[in-house]
Amino acid sequence: MADATALRLATFLLALDGLAALHLAGLVGTGGALGVALIGTLAWRNEPLRDRLGAVPGLGRGVVVLAAAASALDLLYVAASVLDGFARLLVFLLLYRLVMRRVPRDLRDVAFLAFFMLVAAAPLTFGVGYLFVFLSFLVLGTWMLMLYHVATEAARTSGGLDGARAGTLGRDLLGLSLGASAATLAITAALFFVIPRVGQAALTLRGNVSRMISGFSDRVELGSFGEIETDATVVMRVQIPEESATDPERLPGLRWRGLALDRYDGRAWTSSRREHATTRRSSIGQFELAAFRGTGPIVVQEIYLEPFGADAIFAAPRVLSLGLRAASIVVDDMDGVSVPAAAARFRYVVHSELETGARGRLRPLADEARARYLQLPPLPARVGDLAREVAAGTRGPGEAARALTAHLAGGYRYTRALRRTTALDPVDEFLFVQRSGNCEYFAAALAVMLRSLDVPARVINGFQRGEWNPYGRYFMVRLLDAHSWVEAYVDGDWITLDPSPRAGTEPAGAPAEVALYLDALRVRWYRYVVNWSLQDQVLAALRIREATLAWKPRIPALADWQALPREIHLLLLLVALTAALLVWRRRPGAAAGAAAPLPPFYARALRVLARRGLAPGPGETAREFAARVRAVAPTCAEPFGNLTAAYERLRFGARPPAPPEQSTLDESVLKLRSHMASLSGHLR
Amino acid sequence: MRRLFSGWPRTLWPTRDGWWCLGAALGLGFAAINTGNNLLYLLVSMLLGLVVVSGFLSEQSIRGLRVEPIEPGELFAGRPALLAARVVNRKRWRTSYSVTIEALDGSHRTYLPRLEAGGERLVTWQATAAARGRRRFPAFRIVTRFPFGLFVKAGQARPDVAMLVYPAIAPISDAERRALEGAGPSTVRRRGRGHELYNLRDYRSGDDPRLIHWRSSAKSGSLIVREREAEDAQDTRILLEGTGTRDADRLERGLSEAASLAVQLLRSGARVELLGRGVQVPLDGGPAQRRRILTALALYDARAAVLAPALPRGAPKPRAREIPVGLD
Repeated sequence: MADATALRLATFLLALDGLAALHLAGLVGTGGALGVALIGTLAWRNEPLRDRLGAVPGLGRGVVVLAAAASALDLLYVAASVLDGFARLLVFLLLYRLVMRRVPRDLRDVAFLAFFMLVAAAPLTFGVGYLFVFLSFLVLGTWMLMLYHVATEAARTSGGLDGARAGTLGRDLLGLSLGASAATLAITAALFFVIPRVGQAALTLRGNVSRMISGFSDRVELGSFGEIETDATVVMRVQIPEESATDPERLPGLRWRGLALDRYDGRAWTSSRREHATTRRSSIGQFELAAFRGTGPIVVQEIYLEPFGADAIFAAPRVLSLGLRAASIVVDDMDGVSVPAAAARFRYVVHSELETGARGRLRPLADEARARYLQLPPLPARVGDLAREVAAGTRGPGEAARALTAHLAGGYRYTRALRRTTALDPVDEFLFVQRSGNCEYFAAALAVMLRSLDVPARVINGFQRGEWNPYGRYFMVRLLDAHSWVEAYVDGDWITLDPSPRAGTEPAGAPAEVALYLDALRVRWYRYVVNWSLQDQVLAALRIREATLAWKPRIPALADWQALPREIHLLLLLVALTAALLVWRRRPGAAAGAAAPLPPFYARALRVLARRGLAPGPGETAREFAARVRAVAPTCAEPFGNLTAAYERLRFGARPPAPPEQSTLDESVLKLRSHMASLSGHLR
Repeated sequence: MRRLFSGWPRTLWPTRDGWWCLGAALGLGFAAINTGNNLLYLLVSMLLGLVVVSGFLSEQSIRGLRVEPIEPGELFAGRPALLAARVVNRKRWRTSYSVTIEALDGSHRTYLPRLEAGGERLVTWQATAAARGRRRFPAFRIVTRFPFGLFVKAGQARPDVAMLVYPAIAPISDAERRALEGAGPSTVRRRGRGHELYNLRDYRSGDDPRLIHWRSSAKSGSLIVREREAEDAQDTRILLEGTGTRDADRLERGLSEAASLAVQLLRSGARVELLGRGVQVPLDGGPAQRRRILTALALYDARAAVLAPALPRGAPKPRAREIPVGLD
């Protein structure tokens, strides 16, 4: 591929990369991005159209003036934010450059615009897709810049270089650009992790994030019917650090509590949560929410929450402390935690004390609160009768609650296909007609029955534990893991009750290993790039220091290399193999062995001569071979002499034959062939 | 030939695109600090990484390059001449890319897109020396903007090679040429390439067929060729009158006239002597004498000539003539 073509291709791919970045950030829709790419491609390939447009006097200037006015109007009155207007301006400039491209400098401008598209996308995206856009830009950008540099240098040296000569660099530049990309990536990574994070997030370009996952609700609506769709989108990833004492896969009843719903109107459960307090960060940078009771294991959770419709914080109950990048959080009077800023909810660390059934500090419920958690709309009497019937014989509200839970879990069927066949109250129909439903029905029914027994209860919305990802050692929580359960106030404390027999109805089939691995990669991207913080930098520095100190006394023991870990052996082997490869490639004579391929005209001439037994001997130069040919076949001396001279000019002077000379060389090959044909026998 | 080692000092300066890159890195760094957005930190790091890699690759490209000036042949003041230097990549393995050799005065530049390890290229350019005398080989720069065109890395090379510039050679006017030829070349009785007949002899293989004397050949029945006498031009003394201290322009014109006469006479086969205050080149002929006389005229120093003792001016040899050239 000629350098000029490669330059155009690299620039065009860069433009597509910039568009992909904008699309990833939601600044350009799928249709818009495809439309822009299509227009760019058509304009790129249609040279006559570009020439005609370029010939229209004042067209370019007029378009720019119009675009400037439209952009100003867009920024002032139309765009939802500065970034949206800026993105549209970038897209216009990109199209303008692609369509009106006339000089090489326009290609460079396209590359700059693509870079600014990546900049525009940066504040609005967290996804790992940005990593691929970034890497593509790095590779394509270095390639394009090298090609552009060579093209401009050749043009700068007036008369000193013809295009064909510059074109010989193509393969070199591709390899060099790949190497340069790798080196740039390594330096970028080093700088990225080292540059101190002293930012204070004072400048917000756009408040809302581009992509919000819907499907989770802050209310439980009963009475609907139809098949509930299962959405496998991962909404949350919960990493349990290895320091956490308990094996995360064996933790009892692990689930991620979100919203508490206390009000039931006969069809839906809603929250009447009242702000309890706006809590500020403690001196150690944590939000302290509750005291440790010593009744259950403490589990540390590092949670990555995708952009979500609700502003709730999800964590294993009971939350003791919370660490996240926000100045303040809101804690309501049902132990719900919320953070208004979506960016701050993206990653947080929670310390929770899990419930084990052991009793904590007994605390009576205030009358007002008690009335709130016992509120019920008018219900058919048989609901309360059923509750009393199930709880008959139990001792105290705790046993009654557990009996009701067991009754629902054992006597009712979990299903996602909801049906309505009567006009009864939804809970009434669930308990006495359908006898099947989803977790919301189970939770609602249990809460209603508990309240009818004068046991304060509330419905909790959150997520089930999710699936364990062994590659990243975290739980993947999907949208289909959204779950409802019940908390009941029993013997002075809130206990968790989950009546839905959901386990047997989960969709079968584990995700592919590749999907798990890619998801682990995503988490690492979140953890080490998107959320890299000053605290991480300090921790990393401390770990390096600790490692250094730990290794120092072990250095004398390195003499016993067999005792080293297997990873070290592999690393040493890799280093040795790389070194051996480098030495082998650079051995004396390797360069000669890797000589440039013969130019086609000379190769054809050698084939013609070889048919008559004339071939260059070992160590024989082209000129010596030409002299030998002249001696044994004088008629071939002139054409082969011309071919040899052209070969030498190309091989040692890096000057390929110009088009007129190429035809002369072709004639020389034909002459050589005819002269050789007139000779007979082998010519040695 | 002197070699210039590659240890010459480098200069590094951003190009316009480089300033854009640095400005973008600065602006993005500001935005990253203010937003705390790590993806902006990533882009800033990438720009800085590109700058570092650019510096490394440009250094790799320019390192190990040597420029070896090739001493030019004869140089005359005011006359364009071809200067040459050999650019050698002394590195064992690494190829140098995109290197430009520029004359310091900007008169010429040569672009080398690729110079493989151990390879060399001949770089030539045209230069015109303004005045006679000893001159240094022109200085030039080795420049690279490789790999991204963001920075210009350059090294200035001042070759420690002296060139001798002879006085300007002016064309001899027709009148002067006739006057010189009017003295006419004399002939001597020896075989040569003159016009007079020296001898007739039998044709031998390799003789010029144009020298066959057809009339004698017809008489003798075998091929007879002519042999010619050698010609001997008139010995000439060029006498520099005055020292040239009064008027520098007149001095240069006089020296140029003397050089032109000497070159013309020597070309015609004459033997020439140069004599003046502080300068004396004994009578002789041939290319060596041409070089001696031109060198003496190129290095003629009027102030030194004033202090030099007056040379005894003997009479010219018999049949020799004397051409005075005024320097004042």
